[in-house]
Amino acid sequence: MLKLIIKKECLTALRDVRLQVSAVILLILMTTAVLVGKEGQKLIQEEREEAQAAMYDQWLDQGNKHPHSAAHFGQFAFKPKPVLSFLDVGLDTYTGVSIFLEAHKQNEVLFSGAQDSNGMSRFGELTVALVFQVFLPLLIVFLAFNVFTKEREDGTLKLVHAQGLPMRKLLMGKVWGTYLMVLLIYLPIVLLAYLMLDQQSANLDPGITTKFIALVVLYAVYFLVFVLFCVLVSSFAKSSGFSLLTLLGLWIVSCVILPKATTNLADKVYPTPSQFEFRKTIKDKVKNGIDGHNPSDVRLAALKQQVLDEYGASTIEELPVNWSGIAMQAGEEYTDQVYDQEFSRIEEIFKRQNKLSEWVAFVNPYLAARHLSMALAGTDFHHHVAFARAAENYRRFFVKKMNKDMELNHKPGVAYSDYNVGREFWGSIAPFDYQLPSTATILSVQWRNIAALVFWLVILLSIAYTYARKIPKL
Amino acid sequence: MLEARALSKKYDEKYALNNLDLKVSAGEVYCLLGANGAGKTTTINLFLDFISPTSGEALVNGVNVADEPVATKRALAYIPENLVLYPNLTGVENLQFFAGLGGEKPAKPEVVQLLTEAGLQKEAFDRRVAKYSKGMRQKVGIAIAKAKNAEHLLLDEPTSGLDPQASNEFAQLLATLRENGVAILMATHDLFRARESGTHIGIMRAGELVHSIKSEDISLNELEKLYLDTMKSTVYA
Repeated sequence: MLKLIIKKECLTALRDVRLQVSAVILLILMTTAVLVGKEGQKLIQEEREEAQAAMYDQWLDQGNKHPHSAAHFGQFAFKPKPVLSFLDVGLDTYTGVSIFLEAHKQNEVLFSGAQDSNGMSRFGELTVALVFQVFLPLLIVFLAFNVFTKEREDGTLKLVHAQGLPMRKLLMGKVWGTYLMVLLIYLPIVLLAYLMLDQQSANLDPGITTKFIALVVLYAVYFLVFVLFCVLVSSFAKSSGFSLLTLLGLWIVSCVILPKATTNLADKVYPTPSQFEFRKTIKDKVKNGIDGHNPSDVRLAALKQQVLDEYGASTIEELPVNWSGIAMQAGEEYTDQVYDQEFSRIEEIFKRQNKLSEWVAFVNPYLAARHLSMALAGTDFHHHVAFARAAENYRRFFVKKMNKDMELNHKPGVAYSDYNVGREFWGSIAPFDYQLPSTATILSVQWRNIAALVFWLVILLSIAYTYARKIPKL
Repeated sequence: MLEARALSKKYDEKYALNNLDLKVSAGEVYCLLGANGAGKTTTINLFLDFISPTSGEALVNGVNVADEPVATKRALAYIPENLVLYPNLTGVENLQFFAGLGGEKPAKPEVVQLLTEAGLQKEAFDRRVAKYSKGMRQKVGIAIAKAKNAEHLLLDEPTSGLDPQASNEFAQLLATLRENGVAILMATHDLFRARESGTHIGIMRAGELVHSIKSEDISLNELEKLYLDTMKSTVYA
């Protein structure tokens, strides 16, 4: 019987010209978004790979010089363009693509897409995620707002009910029928996107298939939540007009107003310090010590005494190792501590802001889908932090290697300009290689959003099963 | 058997149906007459569980509709006054859908036979219902009711919108169903049809069953007089 209702719902929808036109428009939009998005992702990734290789060649070809000069010569780390970013660009447009790695300081990831964009980019890019998260739910609203009210208004509901059909079956038939129509639009895009995953995709991210499947499941659940919600509203609404107004109002609130309000609220509750404030704090702490009472010259004097005691020497000239190398590495490590502390503070603020937004996802499933989609596409805040961390670890690694070489091999008494190393030593530093987080890592970080979506699904299914009998028939 | 026991429905402080006692046994056609708002449709809606009674019971084969709404409806067929079908589906598709909901799965030849017996023109079978007239839709409704093979039939002004010929064919259909032992409860404004097709006639006024008579005990003229007198007393009441 369920099959019969589903078939009827599909036939009715398929023969509705307005829905046919809307579906075709959405399919064109999504196909364009997939094709353009994938081409863009591929191009950008190739460019970044080329740039990364060129920068490493530059590092190798920097000529003979002192290792500390090489640490200042620095390297660049380019953020890989995640494969699934062609489906969801997420924060990628705003978070920058490359970072300059050098001695003494942690730089920020620079050159975001937003910096290069014109004013129109404020209206957002056309991405599959945008269509899935915002426009497809709108189509669901138009598909489902009158599935019950129209039948009630026309009188067909009486005739259906009179056949002895339990309301729960009718309700679920309408839910699955509407959902099937959504899948008819959704699945071709899934197939097209799957066909876009090429060898480059697998090289860049070995876990790409799992992430893709998770993304497909995510949106399938998200659409089901919307379908259930819309059909339930229609089942209890007094008229089609009321149902449409209610659903459109809720769509605007959940997809437009609430996300913006949540961001503003998060920023109000957990304010982010300004860039100036942040940089000044770091500078002050490096100069005066983390506690403000341990200036750099005092720290240096203490270290000097410690090293002299260790080697039983009375002057640095008597040391068997290069004092400058030790001092520089110590300075580096102290600066790292300050940076770690301050970046952790900032990260904590962002994490709290994100957490607040994730809790709001229990009220607004759109937020849960948005967070999860960005995470699985590799374009969320956590991915950005993971890249920045990997780049910073690499910076510390190669700067330490420079300092260590200086400490061990730059003999005391040899002038700075007289101690040089060359290509062979530069080559001992492997190029920066960043692996995107695994699906398991992503999902474990995203548990609140998964829980929020499951919560919505369970609540709506429970309402559908519990209250179906109370659906008015007249 | 259809039975109403002290069946009442109250909206706010006003009774739409007050203390109705009624029995329609197998092979009987009980016609409910009355002005608009007399309680005819409310009675049918209560048997169909479209609304819940304020008090009393509507029973189908001795089973309270309120207790077993789905099971009792399985034993009922229903034709409303203004039958609306799915406009994007054809007559055949509509019939297959509604018959399917009732648990029947008629094959295409059977569907064609049912629609033909209901008097629908052949060329309309595979046309979308959006282009049907009211009478054509009503004929599909009759076919739906027949397809269900129910022991009870509830009719809410079923001949409204039918041309005289179709109306006459409908009367013949009722006679056939009655002979087959179907218990029929019909709300109608048509005194002639009630006298012709009904075995029992009830006249309702302001939610109450004022008269209940056997058709064979009253002529059409007497029925008309009784009806008008009852309605007049409503005006002066």
